[in-house]
Amino acid sequence: MLARVFEEAGLSTTALALIRDHAGRARPPRALFVPFPLGFALGRPNDPPFQHRVLRAAFDLLAAESGPILADFAEGTDAPVEVLQASEALAAASPGRTTPVEPKTLGPADEVTALRGYYEQWLADHDGRTMVGLTGIAQRRWRGLIRYLEGYAAGSPPWYAEVPPDLPLARFLRYAADDLKAYYFEARMARRPDQVDNELQRWFWTETAMGDLLTRVASRMAASGDAEVALYAKGIAR
Amino acid sequence: MRGAAGRVPDVPRIEDVSDVTRQAWLNFPVFEHQDAPFVRPARPLREARVALVTTAGLHLRGDRPFASSDQTFRVIPSSSPAMAIVQSHSSIGFDRTAFMRDVNISFPVDRLRELRDAGEIGSLARDFYSFMGGSRAPRMMERETGPEVARRLLADGVEVVLLTPT
Repeated sequence: MLARVFEEAGLSTTALALIRDHAGRARPPRALFVPFPLGFALGRPNDPPFQHRVLRAAFDLLAAESGPILADFAEGTDAPVEVLQASEALAAASPGRTTPVEPKTLGPADEVTALRGYYEQWLADHDGRTMVGLTGIAQRRWRGLIRYLEGYAAGSPPWYAEVPPDLPLARFLRYAADDLKAYYFEARMARRPDQVDNELQRWFWTETAMGDLLTRVASRMAASGDAEVALYAKGIAR
Repeated sequence: MRGAAGRVPDVPRIEDVSDVTRQAWLNFPVFEHQDAPFVRPARPLREARVALVTTAGLHLRGDRPFASSDQTFRVIPSSSPAMAIVQSHSSIGFDRTAFMRDVNISFPVDRLRELRDAGEIGSLARDFYSFMGGSRAPRMMERETGPEVARRLLADGVEVVLLTPT
């Protein structure tokens, strides 16, 4: 849709498309279908030559004399087609149950502390780059955030000064969950560079107290009776 | 390569995706068209000014995160270091660890700089832009925010726009 808007304004566009059916129906002026999972538009993370091939194939479409044009990128990747969801990971780990296999040794707050060294290793290895940062709450104050989430999941959230008054609660919960997940995934990737994609999801949802807490937060949100809160719950765990 | 007359095949690997995903893809309200506006670039890519616009829900750290069905945009200067860019896309249907590992997986800012330095691209726009994709009724994007970004790109001398999804 944006491609059409831009082209109507006089710009030339070329687009990467991850869902071929949608591109085939929407018919943007120029689209390169890339047969990769959602979240992997350029194909392979940290593989510049591969990513350059994707970009060159997309830019090659600019030479076409007429359109719309939908081309196919020839190479695939090994990434799983779909991201593993919490319910799937838990069901696989513990058939017939949706609760974790066994109680965790540490609570989520102590788990965060235990992962700190690995998270700092991630930062050191990536020039300080991190996906943590949507809530703006400093990590040294996460113990209070986790206490709040525990209370929310139990149906009695304590008063919590860090919830911005102008931000709907559903969005605050979502951003908090995204920050915590990013911290965990980045720490895990620093500790276990051999684990990628759904191995990370499986670990988070079945082996960590934080995965358990966020599953409970999402369940409470889904049952809140508030449509917006329930919508955002799907973005935390399902 | 298939042109406009080519057959539109099924959803890729429809036999591989889950029922939930398949239904979500098939039922997503795509704006269907048979034709498209088509502006041929006036100059070859090696002379053109190129912008990157993504629907991956990205923004600078500290900028306003995206909300569900958000149709506003965020400015990301093309000189931004990768560490300054974060993602607040509302979907759970994709693996964010790829973006954690490499911002270029959906926002190929380093790759475009390399192509520019190699002379394959003329120059890069001053600013890149991000929207959040997945809106089921993107009227505001179509009528207001999309045209506003187009105006800004044209004012910057941009000729070619690369669009990347989540």
